[in-house]
Amino acid sequence: MLTGHHSRVTDARRQLTVELISGASGLVLALFMWGHMILVGSILTGARGFDWLAGTLEIYYIAQPTVVVILALFLIHAALASRKIPAQLAERRRMIELGKTLAHAGRDRPANASAISPLQAHVESQLWIWQVRTGMVVLVLGSFHVILLGLDVLTPLFGERPGIEALTSAARVKAGLWLPYAILLVCVEFHASVGLYRLAIKWGAGRLLSRRTTRRIESVLLWFFLGLGVVVLLVLAEVLPPPFEFLLTEPVT
Amino acid sequence: MTTNGSGAARRLRFEIFRYNPEDSDSEPHMQSYELDEAPYMSLYIALNQIRETQDPSLQFDFACRSAICGSCGMLVNGRPALGCRTLTSDLPDVVRLHPLPVFKLIGDLSVDTGTWFREMVEKSEAWIHAKEDFDPQAEEVRMDDNLAQAIYEGERCIECGCCVASCGVANVNANFTGPAGLNRIARFMMDPRDSRTDEDWFDVVASDHGVFACLGMMACEDVCPKELPLLEVHAYLRRRMLAARFMDKKD
Repeated sequence: MLTGHHSRVTDARRQLTVELISGASGLVLALFMWGHMILVGSILTGARGFDWLAGTLEIYYIAQPTVVVILALFLIHAALASRKIPAQLAERRRMIELGKTLAHAGRDRPANASAISPLQAHVESQLWIWQVRTGMVVLVLGSFHVILLGLDVLTPLFGERPGIEALTSAARVKAGLWLPYAILLVCVEFHASVGLYRLAIKWGAGRLLSRRTTRRIESVLLWFFLGLGVVVLLVLAEVLPPPFEFLLTEPVT
Repeated sequence: MTTNGSGAARRLRFEIFRYNPEDSDSEPHMQSYELDEAPYMSLYIALNQIRETQDPSLQFDFACRSAICGSCGMLVNGRPALGCRTLTSDLPDVVRLHPLPVFKLIGDLSVDTGTWFREMVEKSEAWIHAKEDFDPQAEEVRMDDNLAQAIYEGERCIECGCCVASCGVANVNANFTGPAGLNRIARFMMDPRDSRTDEDWFDVVASDHGVFACLGMMACEDVCPKELPLLEVHAYLRRRMLAARFMDKKD
């Protein structure tokens, strides 16, 4: 049996390890998400570009292990990061209330208030609450998406061959999956960008950049990838024609 | 002079939380008071006027009036702030005042921050653990200026409790060391006169009541009336615990 001090040290080591794994898995997943959005963005060059890129990633066996690794990281991150969500309803209510009052404090701020006015909005507490909420949505819809894509990549169940195909993806989006995908897009981009901002501040980004700058970078990334995701969904739903299709069009001879 | 835009002084309405835990008949409720705003009126002045002219039973704490004693922390329209440092000109016409959460309520706006801070100091043994016996005849050991400044920065905490009251974790976990507690620990970790090694600190700082319980909600730094760099203090503790675990193993 462990002695008092020894068990406290063991517990502290575990805390540190869990903090590192949940932070690192979040970092990798967020970076993957952005890379993934860029890759999915190949649909903007039309089905030809999309299928070529998907095919290349599959031929060289990049896509197949990635699906498995991302699914594993996704589950590890969900299991470890969720340890910080308060278990009791009363605790959650207190946190939600606190986040709300701190965020709303700025609403009554008089126009001529000085810099030390206590009524400055503080939003990061409320952003954490929303990270929990979006995390739950991502857990459900993201699992569905990753498993579906896993079946695409690893089995010939959907489409003409094993692999991701523009035709299958477009058919799914048109058939109604645009709605869960749109919800997933908003939730995942919010969760990832706010999560990275928080992770950066937690480990000392403040030494390099002001919090305002870090926050601004987070906002720019959030809106860029949200915008890209919306355009991708519209192209897949065939509401918009692929705007860069001309890049891959065969020259007219 | 603060005006409402038409040139006339504002009539402020204060909605103040009232409850006396010592009185079994007392029920928590909000009570309204009205007051004419005066130039450079702080909440300290406003509350004293209310107590002197309208309600002598109103309980609140003040001592220094200059953001040094840390006794006048309260929720001003939902946000922790010092009463003495808050000018009514920075507030809307209606000002809602509540006592700071987390701490034990003494009555109305008065809370007992002292017990919380004493427990925190005792738990983390937040005092110098000297390497050698103090020799009053010996020349004082020199300290790097930047380090002295960094230690001084941590010492500027007035223990008002605003950071603790704004912290989501401290609000739901009574054992959390809290932003002010972590700041105090960091101050002693930095101090070369303290004999404790990172390994000694490890089980305190890296525990589930230490820095890794922090969710990174960042409210502590935003509400700190002394503008202490609490987020960087937390980041420093995280990095130092990481190094202590994997890089600086001693003995």
